[in-house]
Amino acid sequence: MSLLLRRRFFWEEIDLMSLLDILLLVAALLASGLFVLGRGSFAGWLATVVYGLMLAVLAIAGLALDSGVAFIPSAMSFEILGRNLGWRLDGLGWFFALLTVGAAFFASWYGSGEWGRKQKRMGLQHALLALNVLAMLLLLSSGDLLSLFIGWELVSWAAFAIMTQGGGPAVAAAYRYMIYALAGAMAVFAAIMLVQNVTGGLGFADLQTAISAMSTAQVWVLFILFAAGFGVKMALMPFHLWQAPAYSETPGASSAFLNAVSARMGLFALILVLVKLTGLEALGSLAIPFTFMSAKSALMWVAAITMVVPTFIALMQTDARMLLTWHGIGQGGYMLLGVLVGTSLGTAGGLMHVFNYATYQAALFLAVTAVIHRAGTSDLDELGGLITRMPWTYVTLLMGIIGLAGLPPMNGFVSKWMIYKSLLDGGQPLLLIMAFAATLGTILSVYKLIHNIFLGQLRREHQHLKEAPVSMVLPMLILAGIGFVTGFMPGLALNITDIAQRAIGGDMLPHHLGGVTLATGSLNMLWVVGVLIGAIGAGALIFYLLGNRRYEVHQFDNYAGGHFLSADIRYHFSHEFYPGLARVIGPWYRGSIVRAEQGIGILVNVAGDLWQAVFRVAYTPLYMLLVVVLGLVFTGSWGIVP
Amino acid sequence: MMSYVADFIFMPLIAFVTGLGLVLMARRVRAKIERRVGPPVLQPIYDIVKLYAKKTQISHGIMHDLSIMMLLGGFITAEIFLPVPGFDGLAGEGDLITLIYIMMVPMLGLALGVGSCANPNGSIGISRALTAMLAYDIPFIIAVTGACMAYGTTNLIEIVQIQQAGGPASWGAATMPLLAFGGLLAVHGMMGKEPFEIYIAPAEIATGPMVEMSGKYMGALFIMQCFQLYTIGVIYTTLFLGGGENWPFFLAKVFAVVFISVAVTNVYGRFKTDTMIRWMWKWPTGIALAGLALVMAN
Amino acid sequence: MSDKLPVIEDQPEICRSVDAGERSVWTRVMNRFADHCRARSLFVLHYCTGCGAIELPPTITSRFDMERVGVSPMVTPRQADILLITGYLSIKTLKRVILSYEQMQSPKYVIGFGSCTINGGMYWNSYATVKRLDQYIPADLFIAGCMPRPEAVQQVLLKLMEDIDAGKANGWQDYYNNYDRYLGNQQALFGESWHTPTDVIAEAKHYGYLADGTMGRHTDLLLKRADYALDRVPEDYPERGKNERRLP
Repeated sequence: MSLLLRRRFFWEEIDLMSLLDILLLVAALLASGLFVLGRGSFAGWLATVVYGLMLAVLAIAGLALDSGVAFIPSAMSFEILGRNLGWRLDGLGWFFALLTVGAAFFASWYGSGEWGRKQKRMGLQHALLALNVLAMLLLLSSGDLLSLFIGWELVSWAAFAIMTQGGGPAVAAAYRYMIYALAGAMAVFAAIMLVQNVTGGLGFADLQTAISAMSTAQVWVLFILFAAGFGVKMALMPFHLWQAPAYSETPGASSAFLNAVSARMGLFALILVLVKLTGLEALGSLAIPFTFMSAKSALMWVAAITMVVPTFIALMQTDARMLLTWHGIGQGGYMLLGVLVGTSLGTAGGLMHVFNYATYQAALFLAVTAVIHRAGTSDLDELGGLITRMPWTYVTLLMGIIGLAGLPPMNGFVSKWMIYKSLLDGGQPLLLIMAFAATLGTILSVYKLIHNIFLGQLRREHQHLKEAPVSMVLPMLILAGIGFVTGFMPGLALNITDIAQRAIGGDMLPHHLGGVTLATGSLNMLWVVGVLIGAIGAGALIFYLLGNRRYEVHQFDNYAGGHFLSADIRYHFSHEFYPGLARVIGPWYRGSIVRAEQGIGILVNVAGDLWQAVFRVAYTPLYMLLVVVLGLVFTGSWGIVP
Repeated sequence: MMSYVADFIFMPLIAFVTGLGLVLMARRVRAKIERRVGPPVLQPIYDIVKLYAKKTQISHGIMHDLSIMMLLGGFITAEIFLPVPGFDGLAGEGDLITLIYIMMVPMLGLALGVGSCANPNGSIGISRALTAMLAYDIPFIIAVTGACMAYGTTNLIEIVQIQQAGGPASWGAATMPLLAFGGLLAVHGMMGKEPFEIYIAPAEIATGPMVEMSGKYMGALFIMQCFQLYTIGVIYTTLFLGGGENWPFFLAKVFAVVFISVAVTNVYGRFKTDTMIRWMWKWPTGIALAGLALVMAN
Repeated sequence: MSDKLPVIEDQPEICRSVDAGERSVWTRVMNRFADHCRARSLFVLHYCTGCGAIELPPTITSRFDMERVGVSPMVTPRQADILLITGYLSIKTLKRVILSYEQMQSPKYVIGFGSCTINGGMYWNSYATVKRLDQYIPADLFIAGCMPRPEAVQQVLLKLMEDIDAGKANGWQDYYNNYDRYLGNQQALFGESWHTPTDVIAEAKHYGYLADGTMGRHTDLLLKRADYALDRVPEDYPERGKNERRLP
């Protein structure tokens, strides 16, 4: 009784100063501990439990943030060059931190069982996963531009470390990632230095004063540097080429983690800097000369192109993991687009899509990893018919692809619906059509994924496969289940995004458990899913009550134009699954972006060779002279400019 | 509460019966164009009963059965979310966008079931069906987007009300003829009629998705065809032809939409898949985009 | 699945007892209704390797219009009710006919079209053609003549409809009931290792069509030889394919 009468809740008694500290401390301890203890068979389970505890801490922090606390500060701070460097977790960071720790929880669980035992250096993978979580938490709780940059670099390097674990092609892919990431980091650093030059400070407030103080040209430079720098991480086109090979070559569980949240760090930084600090009005008023467009609409178009092009590239992939990572790039476009629309519906839709994407993408990757674990390959041309052998993995993959394609009843539909609706209400029909087109492409692509792996002919060599062990099946089924529950009751996920949306500022989206009610068309998923399930039940009644009993035949009892099918004949239609489409869009796909990257690569190589030749071989004195002259010019102009 | 029960039972039933009529009309029109007598009035019912009455019903696994349930369930759901005269059903709880995506659930269900049949003809059929969907849905989506922009809402009930308040002059077909025409071409593709029946292609891939469907599985597909024709007709009517004031008018409009499609289909052969994509992305898409530009300019 | 393939030892009682449902009024009314619909909706699979195929387009199209009595062509055996064999069958094509016939769903009907299916016709002394179709699959009706006109095709379709409506066209049950005899004839032509992917015995068992003649010494051979079934992959077959790729 006395418990109920207490006015203060227990999380208010814990000093809020310490919640973030606890989180960071636990993450740091876990990471360092796993480097030492990682080889033990219990390491994975230990990490899973610790992630669970961290989720609990985050939940308490969430309740605090939900009750109106602006942010949770950290006791940790440094003084560097007279600048105070601090960390604090606000609602936006909390939202992404929840996803990070959640993804780590499921990835770690998955990696603790049979899958982990088959890995070469699973201990190191556990430790690197914990390191990634620590780095991401540091980034997400950064309190000023400098700590943001430090977090940014840490995240890049931690991700690089985990990407190399695959060995072989993974190292090359990770190296490529690192080059992109460093270039992005340089851009971010330049932008931060620009702010520092104008205002002399590195706080978030300084960025806001800097923007009001800067000339339009300077704001443009700042915008491009930030958008490009952060855009590299979330693989905005045209900085997207690193992501698919890097993420798909990473070992399974870690790959699920990276796919679910890693690229979203770029989105976090973009939201933080461009939406929260700069403000969408400022971006909207940043007009591009001689066009109708502004910086905001340009970025929206970039997001839309990021949505469409990678989706259709995914359609052409022949490897399950590559297909999924390309979709990951495309899905990032939806999130950014939703957030950039700027209405409460759009922001909530974009943020909810981050959440939804994390659930189904992690589930999909874990399912594909289970297939690799059993069948030994993720090549879409070499699988088929596994539905009879791995039914639970099939269920996970099915729920995941329904979410990825954005169809009811999964959660992906709700967030996409909100994004579509916000585009429609925001008067952006062309972007809406692009979003629809990308969704259609996704449907084609994910059907190919599930068809080539699970449907069709079961190969003779897969005759004796078994279902993945419980330690693998359970986490992915739970993830898929979260996807279904938040699709049935999107209000649950919207409660979480509310906290982030409040931190961004702007209007809040009124919602209820089943969805949103708007003047221009509503969505109530309780009804939609309820009726859908009821109607499928009616379909089941029709199926079972009418007509004779079913009789199940084996796969070779199949009409093939009078041909006798047998296990020796491979007739699964999987290679080049969409030949008609490939004939139409194939040439576009082959032509454009990959060639451009190759071109840039060759250009850099040639320039590097020339530079090397000039420096090391021939004209050393000439170059000494040139450097001296340039140095003089630079110092001279330095004297003039300030 | 009782009205909901009535909605849930009567709306699918009406859809099914109307759909039987649409199927009969399609077959009769085809027969007349070919100077034949055509099937008797009850032929669609005979076909369905016969298929359900087959004494052996072979299945290719649980997913094959589930796909049949998803197929019927998806379309029954779609019927409940459609506004028709006298019944609004749940049209207020999910809007036009929801409806379009609900209609993809049976497609996905069918695709999964066909895939689990492990028949290469079936897989090729699904590959073509999905490609066709990508082809016709893009102009269709443009038409839908343009219409929603013009009406300022995606609520189906309001779309109908706006058109009925202003009479036939305010029908979508009158206020945005280009969008309506582009949408009509897309709808023709959506019905899978020649020249866009690339995924049925009987002489080529043995009716594609249906190749392994027999007995009640095939019967469910026949029922689905009824639902499909009806749903497409109603969506088009709702968007561009003012919805339904009363049943006779409403059904006349639905039959007219389907009639246009079945009347022109017989003179065509079959396109290749890539020809269909190119055609769909050129003509209906271009026309619909022009219509969208007009809507945006107003 | 084929793990339900019957083993001779646990053969059930082979005399089919009368189904209780067959005595109830409801079932009889429903069966009557179903027969009524069956007779009015017939999908035909044209097996047209012989020369008689040329008579079918006029039967279907505007001159005679099969669809006015509910008969329409279908392209896969799964959907078809009638297997229309137009003309002679070589031994090679007979294999495909049997495959297609077994893949059709019961009730299913076979119409032999032209003299060749009755007694070999003008190929009566050929080494490579089948003389009597009904030795291999149960034919319900034949159309005599070389070649029969579309009127004759219509006539036989109407006769078949009459039979179905009266519940008399039961050739398909004969195939289940005397499968051993049909299989024996097939084996005489194709050799002892002959089998189709369809497990007729398991199907007969599942739907209660087992009879004295369903299993016998010919079906014993089938059980020994049929290696089509997935679960019968040899034990020593390599577990993984040659082109397996090791992935992290």
